[in-house]
Amino acid sequence: MFAPVTTAISYLYRAAFELFERPMLAVQKMTGAQKIAWVFLLPNLLIFGLFTFLPIFLNFFYATSGSDRILLSERPYVGLENFSSLLACENYLDPNSCQRDIFWRAVHNTSWFVVLQVGFMILFSLVTALVLNRNIPLRGFFRSVFFYPVLLSPVVVALIWKWVLQRYGVLNAGLETQGLPIVNWLVEADWAFFWIVFVSIWAHMGFYTLILLAGLQAIPADVYEAAEMDGASKWRVFSKITMPLLMPTMVVVLVLSLIRAVQAFDEIFVLTGGGPGSATLLLLQFIYETGFAFRPQLYGLAAAASLLMAAVLMVLTLLQLRAARGRGEG
Amino acid sequence: MAVLELDGLIKDYGDVRAIHGVDLTIDNGEFCVFVGPSGCGKSTLLRMIAGLEEISGGELRIDGVRVNEQRASERGLAMVFQTYALYPHMTVRQNLAFGLENIRTPKPEIVRRVEAAATMLQIGPYLDRRPKQLSGGQRQRVAIGRAVVREPRVFLFDEPLSNLDAELRVTMRGEIAGLHRRLGNTMIYVTHDQVEAMTMADKIVVLRDGRIEQAGTPLELYNQPANSFVAGFIGSPRMNFVDVTVREAEAGGVVVSDAAGNDYRAAVAPDGLEPGDAAELGIRPDHLIVGDAAGHAVTVQSVEQLGGESYLYCETGAGTPLTVHLAGQTGIRRGETTHVVFRPDYTHLFRKSDGLGMKRLVVGEAV
Repeated sequence: MFAPVTTAISYLYRAAFELFERPMLAVQKMTGAQKIAWVFLLPNLLIFGLFTFLPIFLNFFYATSGSDRILLSERPYVGLENFSSLLACENYLDPNSCQRDIFWRAVHNTSWFVVLQVGFMILFSLVTALVLNRNIPLRGFFRSVFFYPVLLSPVVVALIWKWVLQRYGVLNAGLETQGLPIVNWLVEADWAFFWIVFVSIWAHMGFYTLILLAGLQAIPADVYEAAEMDGASKWRVFSKITMPLLMPTMVVVLVLSLIRAVQAFDEIFVLTGGGPGSATLLLLQFIYETGFAFRPQLYGLAAAASLLMAAVLMVLTLLQLRAARGRGEG
Repeated sequence: MAVLELDGLIKDYGDVRAIHGVDLTIDNGEFCVFVGPSGCGKSTLLRMIAGLEEISGGELRIDGVRVNEQRASERGLAMVFQTYALYPHMTVRQNLAFGLENIRTPKPEIVRRVEAAATMLQIGPYLDRRPKQLSGGQRQRVAIGRAVVREPRVFLFDEPLSNLDAELRVTMRGEIAGLHRRLGNTMIYVTHDQVEAMTMADKIVVLRDGRIEQAGTPLELYNQPANSFVAGFIGSPRMNFVDVTVREAEAGGVVVSDAAGNDYRAAVAPDGLEPGDAAELGIRPDHLIVGDAAGHAVTVQSVEQLGGESYLYCETGAGTPLTVHLAGQTGIRRGETTHVVFRPDYTHLFRKSDGLGMKRLVVGEAV
């Protein structure tokens, strides 16, 4: 049944070949064999340039200019004023002492979020991967169960959990039937923060579990058998064999999850909208609201904040790359 | 130092029986080789002894003590794996020390044993390298060293040389044999290479389909194979087989004839063979005499001249292939017809129905 398909493909291939052969040969005659690579790269470069590199570049101009105008030509140059406004703070640990207290609240929230979400998510992913790597019944089923939330759209994730956690949600209904006191999960600040960390772990841990599982399966079985012959206890097998051999995978997981945690936005925005108050307001939401949602639209401030965030991500990535390279050489 | 007793060992994988009740005793200090084609169960049997595979039935005893339920590490065995199975993230020194650290050996003792093993196996200069930085032969030495430092009662080798090139294999073969002489431990060695089995073993155990076909010294197996499978497996090049029918079966020997009507004499005890029974005549390539006009006519299909020895690949009148091994060089050319004599003293005879080997009346080269 594949024969007609293959025939059609090979026909199309030949047609395309005949269509492009002459013009490409003509171009190559002009550019030479080496430089023709640029011709092939051009479409991609254009798209990337227009939608990725150009905005990054423009961001610097917005960050160093003031007012709420959108056209660069109408925006006065203000130097580093946006940065100094963001960084003006008597005590960085107390957002109330800062000129842009909301920004610093977002920074604090994001820092806590990153530490808690990444820390616990890696822990849970590791434990899950270790369990799923064993010969348990229904292994395939459980593997897909843990991966399933990754396939959901972030908005769907948030809506599901909103439905569970709201005042008249599933969780409170359950508590009520047990005669337990109900909690307004998304309205009490500490609980709201707990739930954004929880939901975010729930939504993403399947992905990291999968990567760690692949890492575990890449460890050859005979190494474990050798350790068994060598009389290693379960703990020593884990700490001296599994963990060191899983480290390169762990570094990848750490980088990816750190970057994603710093950029966390969608599920949380839909679930709590940053509230109550600014209890669950994260950095990316601050940037979005400052630059786009609230009036006046402070593009300069938003651009400056996004550059600061980019700097943090850059440092994180470089550190992790160095750690990964150090291990690779060892 | 240990005696191993396998008493009706059985291994089942679900409904499939991989090992069918193996009985075997391996004496203290013996170098025992399990040999057989792929899938014969030799590695499975070794892994059952090691404790890496559960024993489904029967009893395994080490020095008289049942060890079926003991964990691998409690049996006092050490294993060298085909793939080396070195810990890739540890240095050679750490690889060697790992097993000793597991049983909380005092530090100075670990250092002493690691140094001693490193010296013995000539891996001293590589102690601080990782396995990745070593050649195949060096890795194999480290794998052996890891077994040596633990001072086990029994060494287990699972096809340890199959990942090495031919030249290195011969060297390492000698080193393992040397290791056995020096340490004097009981060793079990699994291989599919009958040359390794012949050269290293005190006792060879030939396995097929999870059963022992024959166990004995290399020369016992070579001279008096219990059946046609062992006869075909032991010895290189392979024994020649000719389908025959028994004509006369006397206590002093058996006369058989092939499909073309040629007669052969075999100096074997008939052991129940009757005239008219189907049988298989076997003779090793070394035991055919070429060029005697009294022999059977064969056509030479091809000739291999190795300088010091030669091989003729012939075909009998009945179309049966015959390999002939000659010492030195030969003037015989491809396509020629020559005559070969089957020396009765060296002729084996196997019952066709089950392959059972008839007892030879004269055994050994000394005759």
